[in-house]
Amino acid sequence: MLSKIYLALGVGILVLYLAATWSGWELGNARRQVLPADVRNSPGGYRSFHFWHSGYRGGK
Amino acid sequence: MTALQANCPACGADVTFKSGSSVVVVCEYCKSVVARTDRALEDLGKVAEIVESGSPLDVGLAGVYRGVAFELTGRAQLEHAAGGMWDEWYAAFADGRWGWLAEAQGRFFLTYPTPSPIEVPPFDALEPGRGISGIPVAVPLVVMEKGEARMLAARGEIPYRLVPGEVYPYADLSGQGGVFGTIDYGEEPPLVYIGREITLAELGIAETARAAEHEARRVTAAQLQCPQCAGPLELRAPDKTERVTCPNCGSLLDVNQGNLRFLEALEPGKFTPTIPIGVTGEFKGGQKLTVIGFMVRSVEFEGTRYFWEEYLLYDPPVGFRWLVQSDNHWSFVEPVAPGEVTDGDKIVRFRGKSFKIFQDALARVEHVAGEFYWKVTTGELVRAADFINAPEMLSKEVSGTELIGQRKRKKHRLHQEQQQEEQNHLEAEEINWSLGTYMSRRDVERAFGITGLPVALTVAPNQPFFHSKIYGYWGLLLVITLAVGMLTIVTGARRKIFEQTFSLQLPAPSPPATPQTLLPITGANSALPNAPRSRARATPTPRTSPTPRAAATTVRESEGTQVIFTEPFEVRGRQNIRVTARSNVDNNWLFVAGDLINEETGVVQQFEIPLEYYYGVEDGESWKEGDRDKSTYLSALPGGTYTMRLEAQWEGRRAGVPRFSILLEQGVPRFLNLFLALLALSAVPVLVLIYHIMFEHRRWADSAFNPYATATEGDDSTESDE
Repeated sequence: MLSKIYLALGVGILVLYLAATWSGWELGNARRQVLPADVRNSPGGYRSFHFWHSGYRGGK
Repeated sequence: MTALQANCPACGADVTFKSGSSVVVVCEYCKSVVARTDRALEDLGKVAEIVESGSPLDVGLAGVYRGVAFELTGRAQLEHAAGGMWDEWYAAFADGRWGWLAEAQGRFFLTYPTPSPIEVPPFDALEPGRGISGIPVAVPLVVMEKGEARMLAARGEIPYRLVPGEVYPYADLSGQGGVFGTIDYGEEPPLVYIGREITLAELGIAETARAAEHEARRVTAAQLQCPQCAGPLELRAPDKTERVTCPNCGSLLDVNQGNLRFLEALEPGKFTPTIPIGVTGEFKGGQKLTVIGFMVRSVEFEGTRYFWEEYLLYDPPVGFRWLVQSDNHWSFVEPVAPGEVTDGDKIVRFRGKSFKIFQDALARVEHVAGEFYWKVTTGELVRAADFINAPEMLSKEVSGTELIGQRKRKKHRLHQEQQQEEQNHLEAEEINWSLGTYMSRRDVERAFGITGLPVALTVAPNQPFFHSKIYGYWGLLLVITLAVGMLTIVTGARRKIFEQTFSLQLPAPSPPATPQTLLPITGANSALPNAPRSRARATPTPRTSPTPRAAATTVRESEGTQVIFTEPFEVRGRQNIRVTARSNVDNNWLFVAGDLINEETGVVQQFEIPLEYYYGVEDGESWKEGDRDKSTYLSALPGGTYTMRLEAQWEGRRAGVPRFSILLEQGVPRFLNLFLALLALSAVPVLVLIYHIMFEHRRWADSAFNPYATATEGDDSTESDE
């Protein structure tokens, strides 16, 4: 029984890996967002948008 | 064949030698054995009436074996020294040969005398279980049994000089592929018979009406009366049973040709069978076997006696089988020809499999109930060795004469020496191999249509590890995943879609936090078709608001911050993106925050790459940390035209303003996903493997040959013994 469950799980993992490879998915937490339409339509377009980044947290 | 008719020298009745080469014929009227000699007929004495054994064979029955017709002309019944009886049939073949067809416990062995005498070892030199040389057969032979047989009864024509009541020593031999042999030490030189185990179907007489008639007759149980308590007694295998216990008074009775004789009163209620005697179960291959006997045996191991139950199963066409229960684990046991087993001290081989020794001890019969095909008694000893290859267990039982008087009792001795010494007080006469196959509790319940069998809490020696299949799946999935991974890595697109180098400048003193747009100083991206150099944006940033960092005035005066917008470039869908930042930071840091902006849809993919590189000399030792280049991977973006916004932040108070370059590539193979996939695939099998190792440790925990026992444990046990 466990073997069959593992086989199903393993096939699932393999499919996920294949899907990730096919779609170019990468593990990570890089943020993705969509600029609001009003920003894009405003003068300056995306240049006027607040692109928030965490900033540097290291250094000597 | 030339028939010879004559008169019995004892009674004068007609006797006929139908076969020209038969030596004796048994008078049907007075049971005298009449031998023909060169000069006259000779009366060799009287034999007993044949006891009906329920055999499917009969004198006069004809068949064809390997294309040669034969007829069964005679039959003899011989008594085993340890009790029990077997039949011998004599087959006259059309090509002039004689075949000896032995029948015992539902099995048939057809042998032929060797054409010329063969020099064989003397009887006393034979040892059951050991090989024997000098016999011209293709396979090695081992001695299966040695003993003495007594001629009890006979009928028909027989191809040798049968003397009633004669006792002769014999040895049975066994070889691979069902090869079987017998050495008759009653003649000088000994006669050797070689053949093999056969089935009735091979003899071409399985379908005869005679067989069917016998079959119907022998399954009928015999109703008897206990000589001790006069209670009713049923024999389920009347033609085979040698011992039976009375279900009413518990007496152990000897069965001799249907007559019962009291032997001993067994202790009542000491052991109760989990499966009642008389119950029929259906086993593999649809075999319907009835429990006819129940036995409890035990072995002593390091001062503790361990008990197990054995159920004798019987069905006339199948013969005898066993169901063994130990610690609530069950095994279905079938007999195996000794010649099929390649015997070794610690490893034996059978049907291409290796079996490891698990236990080798002296087993004692503690309790019997029901019927048995040998003269069993409580206290009977056999040397029992078990070899395992789950789910199977090969068991070797060596029975023989007990030499109790020669047993030396010593204290303070090593365990194995003790075992060996115990074994020494059995002089081997017969060796039996059997193959036990593990049965789950549910299988046994299904076989007998019962429920509620106790659950086993231990690991049996031959208990299979049911999750072993997972390793095969694991290997298969790993291979497929690795193949896909390697294929992806080899065939990866690896396209460069953007590359540019930037030189940063310290911001003007006033206003302090206003970011500035920087011109690229190199035009590496000019190689990209959609990023014409002429369109490089040289205008100051039209930002109407400062960056959040600038707005929040988090940029200290000591830090520089600049924002850059690149030329548009094309990004393809379904391909990951690797962003690589390089800088000439020197005891400094540079933080690059980037945004890939789809100009059409407004999709923004952010990334951040901190770069820092420090070095120096401290206490006379040079050191360095950090890197001047770093990469980050981004999931694929929808295909389209993108612009990149770069916000560079660095420590301005240090000497020098860093430069940095950004490289964007697509379709870059990455091992992380492959590694994670392999890791995910391996998690469950690794846990199963750990459990499996623990399972094996538990399996071998009670074995004297535990391969997991450490030297320390061995030393400890030695010390405790001493």
